[in-house]
Amino acid sequence: MPIADKKLGEGTYAVVYLGHLKADPKRLVAIKKMKVNTAEWRDGLTMDAIREVKYLQELSHPNIIALHAVFSSKNQNLNLVLEYLPLGDLEMLIKDVDGIRYGTAEVKAWMGMLGRAVWFCHENFILHRDIKPNNLFIAADGEVKLADFGLARSFADPYRIMSHQVITRWYRPPELLLGARHYAGTVDVWSMGTVFAELILRRPFLAGQTDVEQLELICQWIGTPVEENWPGVSKLADYIRFDKGNIQPIRGKEFFLSTFGTAGPVGVDLLMSMLALDPRKRSTSRQVLEHKWWTSEPRPTAKEHLPKKGGGPEKMGEDLKRKGGEIPASRGDSVARRLDFSAMR
Amino acid sequence: MSRSMQSNGAGPRRPGDREDICPVCKSTRYLNPEMRFLVNPECYHKMCESCVDRIFSQGPAACPIAGCARTLRKQRFRQQTFEDLKIEREVDIRRRVATAFNCQESDFETLLAYNNYLEDMEVATFNLLQGVDVDATERKLAAFAAQNAASISANNAKATETRTAQHAHTAAQKEQARLNRAGATRADVASMAEREEAHREAIDAVANAKDEPGQKVVLLKKSTARRTAAEKARDKQRQQQQQQQLQHPGDSTDHEIYKIQGLKPVIHPPPEKAYDPFGGMAHTPVYYTLQSHYEHPWLDRARTDPGIVAGGYDLREYYHRTMLAAFAGLGCFIDEEMGEKEKGRGEGDDKMVATEGAAMAAAAAAGADRAARRDVL
Ligand SMILES: Nc1ncnc2c1ncn2[C@@H]1O[C@H](COP(=O)(O)OP(=O)(O)O)[C@@H](O)[C@H]1O
Ligand SMILES: [Zn+2]
Ligand SMILES: [Zn+2]
Repeated sequence: MPIADKKLGEGTYAVVYLGHLKADPKRLVAIKKMKVNTAEWRDGLTMDAIREVKYLQELSHPNIIALHAVFSSKNQNLNLVLEYLPLGDLEMLIKDVDGIRYGTAEVKAWMGMLGRAVWFCHENFILHRDIKPNNLFIAADGEVKLADFGLARSFADPYRIMSHQVITRWYRPPELLLGARHYAGTVDVWSMGTVFAELILRRPFLAGQTDVEQLELICQWIGTPVEENWPGVSKLADYIRFDKGNIQPIRGKEFFLSTFGTAGPVGVDLLMSMLALDPRKRSTSRQVLEHKWWTSEPRPTAKEHLPKKGGGPEKMGEDLKRKGGEIPASRGDSVARRLDFSAMR
Repeated sequence: MSRSMQSNGAGPRRPGDREDICPVCKSTRYLNPEMRFLVNPECYHKMCESCVDRIFSQGPAACPIAGCARTLRKQRFRQQTFEDLKIEREVDIRRRVATAFNCQESDFETLLAYNNYLEDMEVATFNLLQGVDVDATERKLAAFAAQNAASISANNAKATETRTAQHAHTAAQKEQARLNRAGATRADVASMAEREEAHREAIDAVANAKDEPGQKVVLLKKSTARRTAAEKARDKQRQQQQQQQLQHPGDSTDHEIYKIQGLKPVIHPPPEKAYDPFGGMAHTPVYYTLQSHYEHPWLDRARTDPGIVAGGYDLREYYHRTMLAAFAGLGCFIDEEMGEKEKGRGEGDDKMVATEGAAMAAAAAAGADRAARRDVL
């Protein structure tokens, strides 16, 4: 059984502690202690906790957080023993504009790992339904890990009604904003597209303050959903008739290039396929991985070379500066210093 | 060097521009404020740019400074970096030595071997600077350079690659910053795409150069093709001479005398595997081939009802899941089955094509089950 050491953070439904294994104190784990609320939830357990356990147990993949064990403590608390992910999340990296620099190769590496995680969930018929940068944790080796399966569920059953009140608003696809109760893996693909855009822009792409504003932003940046570009859309439960004079046709490639040009034309092509308004025209997670962007230049950065929170980039910068025969200071006393004239111009 | 009068020229001044009279044509900066001085690392004699143009444009010629008769090439003239020509020369020599001596500490088996190597390098530099043992030192340099040829070009490629990547990176960041400032026009978009493409090509070029050393050879061949027959003949002669020289005992021992001592054996890292977006996972079904349509009346509404399909619901995912469930158990007996199969028949249709019936039986069963439990989460 693991021992809890210190608090790592607190979320809506849980408090997370850093712990270690009794048998091996060097093995660190994160212990997620689910909050109990007998008043609101049946059996005192939240649906989130149940989902998290249920789906994480099924999924074992390098880009999905590992669930080592589940146990209950004295007061019937549910505790999840999770893989400890010490390097924060993707949101921290995106926001640290001054401290962390990255380019297309890094974006491709991160998106590639997210793409694999989402594809693997869908391959196992599980929707994540809360993909966003702060649910994408970074492991010690730089690997991206999809976490927080509190909103996950299985999918593909015909006629089974699903909630449209899922996915954090900025990452929520138009079909959910319009009240669709039957949907597919493509909801997660939209979220992936907005994360992709955010990685490039280094700020949230569509940041609506209300659901209505979110829909307006989608109309403005992607296009207004109408029967012509999205057959059947007007039959969705919460469809709004958009003002005829105010309809934005679907944005073309030049528009995306002007905003996301740094991803290159091939990258922009993938981004657009993930942000298609009509979910049936959107790429599936499999199609995302089949896209030619991944194998075109530049090659994705190796995970060990990706910029990391705290010390990561500075360290890397030092290594790059120290070229030629120069050696780290500690060895300097015993070795003659070599001046690097070849670098002079 | 005497300090000259106040400069009246507007152009940027560099070290060595202090003197205002060209020793060759005697023109003065007073009359020609734009005048620039150049030196050639062959002899470091200084002269003005127009003299260089005049004397060396037709090809290599002798240095016009009295008492020097070295043959100079226009291409090698350049502006001085340092005020003191002695330093200029020393830096040149050091740079040249550093290219031949390009091993790093990590290349050596012991620290002692590395220190000995560094000492060798300093001695070579000193000799060239002071004009001591120049011939032997030059031979040593050539021998080292030959030994290191592969790593020298690899290191150069790496340096260029890093530089190009950095340029591309900075440019991309600037570009994004500019885009973020919004208001980018359509015209900008087009030219930006072009620039992107150019960057990409530059990076590609470097990447390819690294991957296939063959490319350099191709370029060489092309330029050879352009040469005249006479030149080719001369080349051939030279080659023969070189070959004779190589066979000459005095020369062939160079490589043994001037061998870098204490180097670790070189281990080449295996070439990087191509990036696999699926991360090495199998992503096609093994036991069945999925069809795009399975007939069943229970499923018809899920195919057509806009309230269902407009949200992206896709029955094909249900087919897929059903098939996966139906065939999931098969993996457990795979070893036995393969053994049987290999004995029984040769290779052939190990992929079973699922029949509609099998899928539909599973679908109906699952459907009945699901309809009973209805959750709305
Ligand atoms: N596996 C982990 N490793 C390290 N820190 C974690 C881990 N899981 C969660 N945390 C920390 O605990 C905080 C709360 O986690 P969680 O309950 O999942 O948050 P939320 O409810 O916001 O999704 C996170 O913001 C993070 O800082
Ligand atoms: Zn002159
Ligand atoms: Zn001269």
